[in-house]
Order: sequence, then structure tokens, then C-alpha cells
Amino acid sequence: MIPSTDDSILEDPIGAQLDNEISSLQDQIAALKAQRSIQASTILSSQSTRSTLNRLRASQKQSKPSPTTTDTTPLLSTSTAQLSHNRENLYRLCAGITTFRIQDPDPNAVDEGKVLGLRIDVASTGKYLRPYYVMLNKPFPKSELLRVHRHTIPPCIPLSSLVDRYLPNGKGSVSIGSKEPVARKQDLCRFARGLRKEVVGYHNRVGVIKNLRKEFKLDEKVSRKGKGRERVIADISAADAEAKQIRIEWVDGRIGRCVVGEDGEVRKCVIIGEEGRDFETERRVTRGRMEGIGERLREGIY
Amino acid sequence: MSLLSVPTTSALPSLQLIPATHPAVTRILYRLTRLSLLSLVLDWLDERNQETSAPYLLTSDDEDDEQDFYPPASSLRALREVYTDLQARKGSKRDVVDRILEGDWRDGISLYQLAMADMQYLYDHPASQKWTALKIVRLSTELSAPSGTEKNSIPRFHPATFLRNLQREALPDVKAHYNLDRHPTLPLLILRVFILESPYNTGLALHSVKERTTFDGSKTFYVAFPDASPYIYVSLASSPSAAPGLVSSAADNNSLRKLMLEGIPKAFSKPRDRFKLEGTSLSARNLDALVERRGGGRTNAAGGGWSVYADDKKKGSDNPLNVQLPTPESSILEDDQEEKDSTEKKLGMKRKRVDDPSVVKRRRLVAKGRFGSTAKAGDGKGIERLDVRLEDHFPIVSALPDDEADAAETGEPIRKDKKQKGRRSTITLELDRTEEEDELASDGWRPDVRITFHGQHVFAGIKELVEAGVIDGEKMPGWMTGEEGISVGIVKDGRIKGNKGSGL
Repeated sequence: MIPSTDDSILEDPIGAQLDNEISSLQDQIAALKAQRSIQASTILSSQSTRSTLNRLRASQKQSKPSPTTTDTTPLLSTSTAQLSHNRENLYRLCAGITTFRIQDPDPNAVDEGKVLGLRIDVASTGKYLRPYYVMLNKPFPKSELLRVHRHTIPPCIPLSSLVDRYLPNGKGSVSIGSKEPVARKQDLCRFARGLRKEVVGYHNRVGVIKNLRKEFKLDEKVSRKGKGRERVIADISAADAEAKQIRIEWVDGRIGRCVVGEDGEVRKCVIIGEEGRDFETERRVTRGRMEGIGERLREGIY
Repeated sequence: MSLLSVPTTSALPSLQLIPATHPAVTRILYRLTRLSLLSLVLDWLDERNQETSAPYLLTSDDEDDEQDFYPPASSLRALREVYTDLQARKGSKRDVVDRILEGDWRDGISLYQLAMADMQYLYDHPASQKWTALKIVRLSTELSAPSGTEKNSIPRFHPATFLRNLQREALPDVKAHYNLDRHPTLPLLILRVFILESPYNTGLALHSVKERTTFDGSKTFYVAFPDASPYIYVSLASSPSAAPGLVSSAADNNSLRKLMLEGIPKAFSKPRDRFKLEGTSLSARNLDALVERRGGGRTNAAGGGWSVYADDKKKGSDNPLNVQLPTPESSILEDDQEEKDSTEKKLGMKRKRVDDPSVVKRRRLVAKGRFGSTAKAGDGKGIERLDVRLEDHFPIVSALPDDEADAAETGEPIRKDKKQKGRRSTITLELDRTEEEDELASDGWRPDVRITFHGQHVFAGIKELVEAGVIDGEKMPGWMTGEEGISVGIVKDGRIKGNKGSGL
């Protein structure tokens, strides 16, 4: 029998409705699951849970284990895991740089696959970013020299020059603990600190440029005519990978480039318009840190 | 066309017209599909492109020629409608090409249009070029080495300045046309260099005696600049398309190409800040794969199993404010349950497998651990060829029993190049490079074994073999997971020698 066409037309909206319902229910399930896991973590982290579990275990040890009583060992181990996780989080929050050990899965890995992981946690604009990792190993037999094995540092951070300076592994370099007075000494602490400084500096610069864009409302759609002040700056963006150069474009065709130091101070600035250099604005821009560029520019405009 | 042709050193202008009857024009246009040809024509008809790709329009003092098979349109808009109509209708590609060449662009196609057509072809066929990643390294003299302040490792790329400098490096008897284009999806800027051997930059250059070879594919040359990355990708000759009978032209083209390549680091350099190019042992047809391993992101030095640290997917979970316990690996696996079914079918039938679910699950876990989030069959980031020379001791206990099976599986037997015979490929050269110093190593016999893995996505294939139990995932050496990020390498003591891949 040929199914009537009416049916299929009728079915379609119902099917769509069902699909909608299913997807919304699935969203709900996911949300509830997430909530449950948060609740579980909270309960496990609390001090009283821990003590209750310990008491339960103690009492079970005394009495003979019967099939009716629940086995507390998995509970206890999860609780321990949770506590150590919390402690790790605390260290990560407070220190910014944390280390951990990894086992290299490669069966041919050097030093039996022992790898030291460095984790750098960075926060920018009120949020924690994905941490950066550097994995170090000791590839040289009979020496404690470290070498970067793998890392997730993007190329805009000068990792290799930091390695050259703080973790040299060429001839004449000496590992951390040794007492030989050689100039090329490995220093993991200073390396990690230097790296973190670079990473944080990079994110701060990117954040400042983002704020400058917000200040001049560059990411919003052009507002309707007659409303608000007329736009003066056409574009502000980072001109290089490390966000150490800022490019500023004015609506009237002037183009500016300023060089920013590692710590965010404006070092140099050139602004060129159709009538040559705009020395006044240049002076204004170079007068302080990069965060204040927007404010100083506006002083000149209005 | 200007009346006088004077030898000059400037570049070929984008406006330079090439006669529509030129065989190369027809060839380049015919390479495109009908659909992309039509969208390209509509691009040409865009208001913004009128300076460089204006069509032949009816002017007021023109009289209507009854004989004209493709009467010229009266306005841009009318012409645009014609082509939009063609887009909606079905028809042959020949009609469209004929209409373009004999009708609307009868005066000729500009070099810019030709470049656009070529770029379109490149986007339509991403695998048509083989790309080699090169690193831009600062040329440092011993004296000025560690001053501390100068540690910027990425040369700034300013397209206009770069092109001007590149042009300055070109020889006066070679003319080039440059066209820069943004890749539609990847963070790449692609430069197309089209080289012409002539001292003139006018129409005369195109009417040289060697007209036939003027436009062969080996004279176009692509350079891709990934954003915020110290690497560039250079296209190699994909096909030896030199016309027969002109033996010297291929060699000529090679030297032209080499010249261009030498010009690139010089164009990046400025006084007191000079650069050179270095090989990175990675070449692939897939630009996605190159961007992943030699791009501006975090994944450059964290391939294979290490990719879990660079992974973007689990957003926010790797965060010190997250109180939840990290999910154990075994439960993550359940997410790709449906994926499992599909792979299950594809697995080879060569060997009997243990189908015990726990064994299968164990293998999948191992594969997950070794490859991390990379090497998935559908991720489009596969390299198509991996060449390895093994320099290990001849095993007393069989060390790598799996390789042979794997090479056979991917359809190519183990390749043993006879060095004396025939022309050496670049890969062979690369692999042979460090051989001399190793002759002295008299600590045992090191046989010369070369393995080539070949396929659409080499590492995804190896991962599937691990999941199928053909390769023992736990004994597999690290270079088979792709974590080194190379396509050519020498393995010594089970590890890639030199290890240029780790990003330092």
C-alpha cells in the first residue's frame, strides 16, 4: 500500500518536535551530570565526610565484615584522590608554576622515560587560560643536564633563547646541583620564572590591546548616525606575533606604529599622516604605559 | 601595451594582458570545474576588481556586429546577470570558457586574473602541491650573540615591504608576477610567484620565442606564510611538466626556483638583522597538517600522545579552579563508541584477532595513550608519506618486528634504495646526509634499512593497526606516533636523530 502523502506532512512537525525534545532532554542530562559531579566533589572535599568515612572504616575493621555492610575502601580512595586534587589546585592557584612527573610512553625514551613536566598557569581578564606545559628530560648519560623534550609554548614566546640562557646543554654547561664555578650553569628555577614572565607579559599585552579596542568601540558595529561621538580611531591591532608592536589607524588616514617593551611601557612611536609626522600625538602616546594610550589619545582628541 | 619595451628590474604589472588565444590561458581555465570557474568570473566582475579584470563591454561608439557570436554586454550588471544565469543552469565547461575567451575577455586575460584562477585551483585541489616547511632563523654572528635584549625569534612579515625586497633580489633578466592571497580557512597568507624569463616587463616578454614554455606549471611557485610563526611553507615542483625536446628548461626552472628561494630570507632581513632558511624535515601535501605542526599555535612540539597537553577540546577542565576530579581515561573512551563500530569494520582481515572485548578495549586505550587526540582518520591533518632510515644495530633479539608488517599493510614494500643507481631523490639525499660520520661507528653492524609509509593519513593508519592488534602499541617506537612532527628522519637507538621536530 502506498502511504498517503498527508501522513508524511503531518509526521514531519511531530518528528521535529520530538527531536527538539530529545535534544533538550539530553542537554538537561548533561547539565545534571555536571551538577552531580560538582556536588560529589564538594561532599568528598568536606572535612566531615572524611572523618565519617574514617570512623566507618574503623568500626568495620573491628567487627567481622558481613555482606550487608558497604565496603568503604573505594569511597575512601576517591576521597583521598579528591583531597590530593584539591591540594594540587591550591598549589597551582598560589604558585603559578607547578611540576609533575610523566612517564614517556615511548619504549625507547631516554632515561627510562622519566619526564619532568612544568605547568604554567596564567590568568587573563579574570579567567584562567589553558595552562602551558614544558616537558623536560635528562637525555645525557652520566649527567644531570636537563633538556626540553616537548612543550606547548607557542612560537611567539622566545622559549629557545630562554633555554639558551638558563638551560644550556652544550659543552661546558653544568647541571643545577653541581658546585663547579662555570659560567654556563643550568638553572631550572630562573628558567621557569623567565618563561612565566614572558607568557604573562604576552597575555597582558594582548589583553591591553583588546581593552584599547573596547575603549574605542572598534569591535562593535558602527553606531547609527547622529548618536554618540564620531569615531576617530579606525583600528588598533597588534602588528606582530608577540604583540610588542601596536598599529593604530585613524579615520583621517593617519597611521601609527608604537613599539612596546616587555613590561608594557611604550618605547617608540611614529605617526604619519598625509601632512607628514604628527609629533604632538607621538609625544602624547610615548608619555607612559600602553594601558594609558587610549586615555592619552582621547585627551588630545576632545 | 606600451610602445617601447625597455629592459627593467621591476615586477610584472598585474594589469599585463595575455592574449586570450594563448594556449596557457585556455589550459589554466580548463583546469577549474565549471562551478568554481563561474564563481571566479563573478569575482572578476566585482566592482572592486574592475581595475585589474575589466571585461569587454559595449561602448557607445561601437556598432553592433551581427557576426559576433558572443555580443558584448552593455554594462557590468548585465554581464553579471548572464553569468549568474549560467550558474543556475546546467551546461558544459567548454561553453563558459569559450564565452570568457572569445566574448567577454576577448582582449586578453590579465596576469592578475590568471593568478586568481590558479589560486582557485589550489583551493579546489588542496593536495595539488607538495609543501615543504622551512624555518626562518636569525643569522647570528658570534660577536653579537647573547645581548639579552634581542630575542625576538619571529621576523615581522609586512607584505608590501617583503615583496619590494624580494623583487630587489630577483635578477634583471627574470621577471616575476606576485600575487598575495589569504587562505579561506587556515591562518595562512599565500604568495604566488610567477616567473618569466625576460628582461622586459611589457607585452614583449610574453611574445618571446619560447612561448610554449612560458607558462608551464613549474614556473609558478607558491610560498605560504603562516600567521605568528617562524616558518614558511614552500611548494615544490609537483610534476615535471617540461615540454619534451626542451631538456634545458627543467634545469633552468630549477635554478630560477632556487634563486627565488634564496631571495626569501634576504627579503625578510633588514640591516643588522639577517635571516636564513633552515630545513625542518617536514613536507606534506596537506596544509592543515603543516599548520598543526609548524604553525603559530601550541601543537608544534607536542605531537602524538603529548597532544593531550595542547588539546583545546576539554575547555576549562584543565583549570586550577575546577574542583572536579579529572575523568579517568577509560570513561573518555565511551564517547567515541560509535566511532568504534566504524573502525571495527575496516580493520584488516590479514590476521586473526583476539576479539575478546577487554583485549580490544585495552588496545584502544593504549592507542589513545600513544596517539592522544591526534591521528584520527577524519581530522584532515594527515601527512601522506613518512620516510625513515633505521640506523639501529642489527637486532640479536628482533627489536622491531612490526615494521615490516606495517609497511606491507600500507601497500608499499620496504624500499631499499640502491645508492649507485639512478637519480637520487631529495628524500634519499636527506637520509644520506649524515652518513659519512657514521662510517666510523664500529660498535656493531648497522644495516641500512629504509622504510616508507605511504597513505592518505599515515599516522591514523598506524593507530588503526594498533587498535587492531597488528602493532603492539606498547612496544611501538615513538616516531611511529608522529610525535616528532617530521616526514623524513633517521632513527638511531629507536629515536629520531637530531630531533629537530621538538620545536627548539
